[in-house]
Amino acid sequence: MLLEQLIGNLIQGLVLGAVYGMATMGLSLIFGVLKVVNVGHGAFIMVGAFITLWLFNALGINPILAVPVAFIVGMGLGLLFYYTIMQRLIKAPELATLLVTFAIGILLEETVKLIFGSEFRGYNWAVGKINLGITVLPMTKIYACIGSVVIALLLYLWFNKTRAGSAMRSVVEDSEGARVCGVNVGGTYALSFALGLGLTVASGVLLTMFIPVGINPYMGGGYTLKAFVIAVLGGLASPYGAFFGGLIFGLIENGSYTLFALIPGVEPFALTRFLSFAMLLVILLIRPTGLLRAK
Amino acid sequence: MKKESTKYYPLIPVFAAYLVLFLIGRNVPGMWQLVAMLLFYCALGQAFNIFLGMTGYVDFGYVAFMGVGTYGMALAITKLAHIEGLGIAIIIIGFVMALFMATLLSLAVGAVALRLRGAYFAIATIGVNEGLRFFIEGARIWNGSEGLIFTAQLNQILGRETASTLMTFWADIMVLIIAVSAAFITLYYIRSKIGYALTALREDEDAAKVMGINVTKYKIIAFVTSACFAGLLGAASWALKTPYVFPPEVFEIHYTIEAIIIVLLGGSGTLLGPVVGGLIYGISKYYLSIFIPGFQLLIFAPIIIIIIVLFPEGVVGMLKNRFKDSALAQFII
Amino acid sequence: MKRSIFKALFVIFILFGFLPAYFTLAEAKSPEKILIGHPACLSGKYAKAGEQALGGIKACIDWVNNVYGGVKLEGKKVPLKYKYYDCESKKEAVTSFIGRLITVDKVNVVFSPYSSGLTLRGAPVTESHGMLYMDHGGANNKIFRQGFRYIVQTIGPATSYHQGTLNMIHKIDPKAKKVALAYEDSEFAKMVMHGAEEHAKKLGFDIVFKRTYPKGVTDLTPLLSALKATKPDFIIGGGHFEDGQLFNRQMADLDINSNALSLIAAATLPAFYKALTNMAEGVMGPSHWEYGVKYSAKEAKKVGLDWIGPSQDEFVTLFKKGLGKEIIPDYHAAEAGAQVLAYVLAAEKANSVAPDKVRAALGDLKFMSFYGGWDVDDTGLQVGHSMVAVQWQMGKRIIVWPEEAQTGGVAYPMPTFAEKAKGKVAVPR
Repeated sequence: MLLEQLIGNLIQGLVLGAVYGMATMGLSLIFGVLKVVNVGHGAFIMVGAFITLWLFNALGINPILAVPVAFIVGMGLGLLFYYTIMQRLIKAPELATLLVTFAIGILLEETVKLIFGSEFRGYNWAVGKINLGITVLPMTKIYACIGSVVIALLLYLWFNKTRAGSAMRSVVEDSEGARVCGVNVGGTYALSFALGLGLTVASGVLLTMFIPVGINPYMGGGYTLKAFVIAVLGGLASPYGAFFGGLIFGLIENGSYTLFALIPGVEPFALTRFLSFAMLLVILLIRPTGLLRAK
Repeated sequence: MKKESTKYYPLIPVFAAYLVLFLIGRNVPGMWQLVAMLLFYCALGQAFNIFLGMTGYVDFGYVAFMGVGTYGMALAITKLAHIEGLGIAIIIIGFVMALFMATLLSLAVGAVALRLRGAYFAIATIGVNEGLRFFIEGARIWNGSEGLIFTAQLNQILGRETASTLMTFWADIMVLIIAVSAAFITLYYIRSKIGYALTALREDEDAAKVMGINVTKYKIIAFVTSACFAGLLGAASWALKTPYVFPPEVFEIHYTIEAIIIVLLGGSGTLLGPVVGGLIYGISKYYLSIFIPGFQLLIFAPIIIIIIVLFPEGVVGMLKNRFKDSALAQFII
Repeated sequence: MKRSIFKALFVIFILFGFLPAYFTLAEAKSPEKILIGHPACLSGKYAKAGEQALGGIKACIDWVNNVYGGVKLEGKKVPLKYKYYDCESKKEAVTSFIGRLITVDKVNVVFSPYSSGLTLRGAPVTESHGMLYMDHGGANNKIFRQGFRYIVQTIGPATSYHQGTLNMIHKIDPKAKKVALAYEDSEFAKMVMHGAEEHAKKLGFDIVFKRTYPKGVTDLTPLLSALKATKPDFIIGGGHFEDGQLFNRQMADLDINSNALSLIAAATLPAFYKALTNMAEGVMGPSHWEYGVKYSAKEAKKVGLDWIGPSQDEFVTLFKKGLGKEIIPDYHAAEAGAQVLAYVLAAEKANSVAPDKVRAALGDLKFMSFYGGWDVDDTGLQVGHSMVAVQWQMGKRIIVWPEEAQTGGVAYPMPTFAEKAKGKVAVPR
């Protein structure tokens, strides 16, 4: 009985973890290349969620098709913010970039609130479910999981097979060295920022396929904190690390509930959250390069 | 080296600002609660600046120290309320508790997290803050998520009138005292060995180490000092002025962000900066929400961005550069 | 160049900051009006409820001034005025605005911001000024055990939220014994849970599951899987808005079926059904007020209470006019509006706007409005207002409990999620 529940939760955790992982790749990519922690991360996820919602409810467009739309919107936002703001802050101390990305987050939240209001919204894309016996998985969750894996693979290929991708990797390794070798570092920064935000906004679409309700301008905060933990699990600067970090995070978050529930007199759900942040600290201390050591 | 007498000149504008605030609060009707809010922001900036401004380390989980300070005061009041005749001593015990808990937490965090740098440090401290909150809720310590509400106990110990003036007036005076002492300590640190060591550290930590400076020691001193002020501030402003503690409210990360904004607006690492930052931040937010209620964040966000992009060294940093060679220079740090 | 920009900015800040303060100071206080002050939550985490409260207050002020003709004081009709600031759902702003409202704007009464925490933050300031503080957004019972003298509640206390639902199931399905409790881990929801737990035990239910989930949760799967295993007859829980939608949605995802599901806060809002569509069929929620309740002047006469205020439809029209938006008011609007009416009645009864006198009159006041009954005990705790249970049936909110307020029968048990996915709706038995 208990084991059954545990396994059921782990399956759910794995599916969710893939989406979480994908939702963190953008954060890691931006940190890896620009050394900027995007504190407004969750706000970009929120933008993706609203794109999906609007496309589905107003135009009846399939959420899967919203992924490329969201990606393009995210790229656009990325280029806009890079050339107007971030470009001037590349050499600035952490403090400035932390604050600017936070302010960008607020700006997005308040703009979306102005347009759509602060109502909690949702959509219902009914495509059936699969009953595994020990747990039930709606098809939307499975699509979201597959979508995440595909995007992660595409990113992998792009990094390893294209010129721009390898330029980006060289900047991650050593930006001065890359400049000497003739890499257009400025352009690479802009592209990475845009790509990172594109991925993040697109992940907002996948997250709403997982949880298609509760969409509102302030929904991003929780995802920002989760993304930090996941990014650290994966080594902070590595997008693939982040993807696997997401899987591990999903498993732990879902699996530990069943175990904590055995302790009397506590609130197991809050303890799962505690566990994830405790894990973050431990990993930062003993293995700051992440559980899967980055190349 | 500077002469003894001019050493403390930079405190003059800081104290003058606080004095003006205090006088406005006492003499202009309706201003006291606004002044209280401004004092809170100034004190927050000033306390935060001791660590952030001097070391350049961004402690994103700073609010956790305010949180435990709040709990320190709240626990003193709720647990000791049944003892007869404690009177005002309970407030002192509360502050001691707040100080003790903030010190303890900051030593623990400092010992481990200060080994990290840059963004890694920032994220680790977020982890501390959130982890602590969920631990209190999850393990149900200190009444878990239901928190502590203790106006009744305050009334019982101090009497209704005293408790009322404590909550609406003396708590704010305590915030003022905290702000002033934080300013004093900041200047003391800047002028002492600690300041020079930390400046070296901020410029280049590895080089400072090689030069034989005990970087860790000075980092921890600044970290613990800053945390202690946060604990006291929490006890005064969030436990006495706000007679309840709910975990999600005292570990609310937005307050760290506000502290960062204040320090950055004013100029990080300067003495006067947090005061100027706190005033600009508090006043502009207050009047924005009076004239355009509901839209102030929409306007505030771009203002923050513009200021950081155009004036990265903050208002006081700019003034400092401007008056570098004039007589005013000795007043501005 | 940079410097001049900076200078200009600085001057603007200073001007912005201090000049208006003196203008407002110079404004003379007019005895010709009654001013209601309100640190409203128009942005930040309580923006949603804050907007509703704003609309409700505006609607009832509009009614008092234009239909009722103003507040009768010493033989004169005095209009109501409304002064509000946006507190951003933050405690620092709450006290500073309440201070300003009392001393600069010289309001006659302060309405609380939303949530128990923010309400508590403001209380010491209003108390120290001897200012009447009316609470339409803080449900925590503990507020009224602190010895405050000037605080009066319109929203019902948190412990009462799920009592009606339990009574209903106890009556209509005596065989249902197993109840599952799953609430948000917050002071408010915990209070509701304690009230529900006690009441359930009193009625002889077995509590087979009792857990909480943290605020801001984005995935409830592990909790719901554990809940599913206990096979409860019905489920009560919830916390706020977004988690309620998540709760219902993930129950559907995991195919957890039970006879009834009742969620606090979220389930009664139109947005809930809009977000979940058919999945919300048959889901219930306790509410302080709902569009469709049958409180009227006639009803009031029957139970021997005074009636005041707009009819329900008038209220809705005025609400929309007040906000300038096409949205339907929910209970946050109704309780804030009813609070205006309570103040008007008490001020008339006291024939004064002095806070002490109005507070005393409020203590004796008993009346009915579109919001329902209103009566407070000695501490200021609301005891005269009973909550209704609302159920979604065919996309409409039907009041199913208590029987005297019913607008329709209850659909029990609710259809399973598999049936709902095929389009089945909840129909009363």
